[in-house]
Amino acid sequence: MTTALILLPLIAGLIVGLVPLERRMTEGLALLAALVECALGVVSLIQFDADKGTQFVTDKVWITDFLGIADVRFHVGMGGLSLFMVLLTAVGVAAAAATASWVGRERPRIYFALLLGLECALVLLFTARDIVLFYVGWEAMMIPLYVLIAVWGGEQRRRATLTFFIYTLIGSLLMLVAVAWVGIHGNSFQIDVLTGAGLDSTWPFLAFCAAFCIKAPLFPLHGWLPITYRQAAPETTALLSGVISKAGAYGLITIAIPLFAPNAVDLRWWFVGLALAGLLYGSLIAFRQPDARGVVAYSSLGQMNLIVIGIFASLPTMVGSSIAGPVVHANDNGITGAKFQMVNHGLVSLAAFLLIGLIELRCGTDAFKYLGGLANGRPVISTVFLITALFALAVPGSAVFVSELYILIGAFQFQALVGAAAACAIVLAAMYMLRWYSALVHEGDGPNVSPQTPDLRLGELGIAVPLVLILLVLSAYPFGVMERLGGFG
Amino acid sequence: MSTVPVSFSGIAPEIVLIVAATALLLFGVFLSPPAARAFATVVTLGAFVGAIIAVAVQWDDAAHYSFEHTLRVDAFGRGAGLIVFSAGLLATLVAWGTPWMRERAIEYHSLLLIGAGGMSLLAISNSFVTVFVALELLSICLYILVAMDSNELLSLEGGLKYLIVGAVGAALLLYGAALVYGSTGHLEFDGVARVARGQGDDALLLGGIALVIVGLGFKANAAPLHMWTPDAYEGAPTPVTAFMSAATKVAALIVITRVLVTAFPDQSDLWKNVLAGLAIASFAVGNLAALRQTNVKRMLAYSTVGHTGFLLTAVAADSPKGAEALLFYLVVYAAMNIGAFAVVAVREREIGRPVEVRDFNGYAYSRPVLSIAMIIFMLSLAGIPPTAGFLAKLAVFSAAVDSDLAYLAVCGVIATMVALVYYLRIPLAVIDRDARRPVAEPRPGYGVASLTAGVSALAVLALFLVPGPIFDMARTASTSLFGG
Repeated sequence: MTTALILLPLIAGLIVGLVPLERRMTEGLALLAALVECALGVVSLIQFDADKGTQFVTDKVWITDFLGIADVRFHVGMGGLSLFMVLLTAVGVAAAAATASWVGRERPRIYFALLLGLECALVLLFTARDIVLFYVGWEAMMIPLYVLIAVWGGEQRRRATLTFFIYTLIGSLLMLVAVAWVGIHGNSFQIDVLTGAGLDSTWPFLAFCAAFCIKAPLFPLHGWLPITYRQAAPETTALLSGVISKAGAYGLITIAIPLFAPNAVDLRWWFVGLALAGLLYGSLIAFRQPDARGVVAYSSLGQMNLIVIGIFASLPTMVGSSIAGPVVHANDNGITGAKFQMVNHGLVSLAAFLLIGLIELRCGTDAFKYLGGLANGRPVISTVFLITALFALAVPGSAVFVSELYILIGAFQFQALVGAAAACAIVLAAMYMLRWYSALVHEGDGPNVSPQTPDLRLGELGIAVPLVLILLVLSAYPFGVMERLGGFG
Repeated sequence: MSTVPVSFSGIAPEIVLIVAATALLLFGVFLSPPAARAFATVVTLGAFVGAIIAVAVQWDDAAHYSFEHTLRVDAFGRGAGLIVFSAGLLATLVAWGTPWMRERAIEYHSLLLIGAGGMSLLAISNSFVTVFVALELLSICLYILVAMDSNELLSLEGGLKYLIVGAVGAALLLYGAALVYGSTGHLEFDGVARVARGQGDDALLLGGIALVIVGLGFKANAAPLHMWTPDAYEGAPTPVTAFMSAATKVAALIVITRVLVTAFPDQSDLWKNVLAGLAIASFAVGNLAALRQTNVKRMLAYSTVGHTGFLLTAVAADSPKGAEALLFYLVVYAAMNIGAFAVVAVREREIGRPVEVRDFNGYAYSRPVLSIAMIIFMLSLAGIPPTAGFLAKLAVFSAAVDSDLAYLAVCGVIATMVALVYYLRIPLAVIDRDARRPVAEPRPGYGVASLTAGVSALAVLALFLVPGPIFDMARTASTSLFGG
């Protein structure tokens, strides 16, 4: 099943890219593949057994006895977090593909091939149980992203591409040395074996963290974020913020912390401190942004740092607890909340950036000074934006509220001051999201908004509504997800 | 270890190449230029295939000394030979259709064959005399090949610079060999090792080792001995650059490894540090200098200097893991370099002048397949999966960490970060959507050169997906050197 999830987008991508079909066929085929991937994900979810650890395993030798160290294996499988990350990827790519075909991106064949290639790499990295394979997925996702930003980006796409690339590759190259180190010192490349190998060394841990924290991004490693989120096409930004940033948090939870538990515990205050700074910084800056993307970009920075707080606030109590153990009990609130928030924030950010994309399509800009008054005679836009904004500011009753609450409880258990500071930042979220909503939707018509500006059409609803519906389902039954998420590892 | 007094079957590959070269020179004069070109190409391809078969047939034979211990025919040297012959095969294809080839096909191909013979001989040399002879054999061929396009001033200049610097390097090597001989009384590596065991810090011996490393370092383009590289690579006809960059480096690094590991095992603490220094210098000089280049061939020339850093890291590991990583890296390196130069060769013929980075602007919209190949080569040079360059880097890093050389791996990472800036410039130009150019007329040889690029690109991907066989061969080779 896992292998099918990895190969389906790859094969579909190759077909879409190589077979010269006309535009409609290409888009239809890509969208179909993305939806089938979602369906496969749902089937896995139904078959998933919350009491077992990694499931749907495929384990084959890739390189026998690599340099006399150990086998490098094609070893994939899904634990709880992997499963939900795969689902998030599938949903995100399907929504992005739908948006792209709605907008009618130029050169659809190569565009959709890249999008599906990106999906393949993401699913690979979220399911890999071999650290070399994980690295392959991690790096391979950069190639489609690189082209997506460089070709379909905005005015300053060249600069954005280079900034993004150099930042992220610095992290991942350091991780490559750490992968070699782990292989030599742990005598294996299997993540499950390495978790029990008792590795204890600061610099390889930090090398892994560099890669993961740049991608997340943890403050102050977010220098690539503003320009990239502004210059990429809306659906690419949505994927970056909604799905790809989660890969960073996923790496921390699955690899960096379990492999180097003692080091993670030693350094937890550094991470919590930086993440707290990032949460406050991102939330404050988000309030001052002049454009819709800027607000969501910095809010995304803040939210990812909140997730990092949740992860590290669960140390040291969680280290050593197994993935298969009981999930929701007294001391793992932070990590459970962080994982659930990864899912929730992924969906919220996807919705927010895709909606901004639809506004840009109408008005040609996302700058607040040219927008406003979209509510006048456009009830659907105002409703969908309101629901998204309410989710983003974690209104009580929503799934986001549940996950943020768990993180905050975890933070309070870790250290009351951290919890208090993080709670303040949650209030800031309400401020910037309401400003975002009102600057777009309320007030008088902006210069780029005319009475002829259309409301959301049916096809566009097809993009936004499923995301909102999923969030509503999660809000109604959050424990359905949380009991499947597991701890570290 | 068996010793065979004289074994001509052991040097069958070299014999095939030299016989083919002689045949070309003998019969070529009777043919008209177009016929001579076709004849030369066919014979050269045949000779390389023959040499590859000759190696393959003897691959599983035990390692043995031959010709009075002056040669050591083993999988380590023969593995290098395989890379050289394959590189020659691909470079011959790239050369098809080169304009100046009309008059000089016979000379070009016979020099290529003899040069390749010299390289594979160098890789199995077990004595300083054979090293020197083989080195001169390949060098003299390359000097002429670089200057082959004698209508081009750059080509002549490159050839001259290569000649002068190469001669200095050869002289230093010879002097070093003399000092080693003076200290130990032996020229064969195994003999040197026996005597050198007792005299760890003999000044004569240490001076000899230093000069040998420097002399061979010239050929391996290790900084700071690389200064001929950019001019020779830029000036040389592109097919020659492709061949040189891949094959010469293979031969040079293999012989460096063999000399140091088999002749001076007890001085390893010393030469490991020297190699580490050269590696760091190569990382720094190669990558920083490449940043400033706009000419693609010059940029790739500096990038090969940077790659020497990785290769020397593998040698400095001084372990079976290191040798295995070295051989895998060399295979990948040869494939991606020849491929990249093949694409450059196609573009060069299309625009009729040296290729700048901006000449690739929007290339993806007129030549999508070549452009995808070029992107694959650049990603592989940068070490990004899913390309074989990634596995090669991982192997070298693992070997380095295993030998407590993690600091060299970190230097390599920093070098790669710098390298990304210039490697990525080409894909970025290739997919530039603002600069769509009219499709240029395909020039003669377009199909063959594109085919070569495509084959190399597929090889780079295949080596990533199914690296097992090559790793197995590298393991056999490394075992044949280190024993065990």
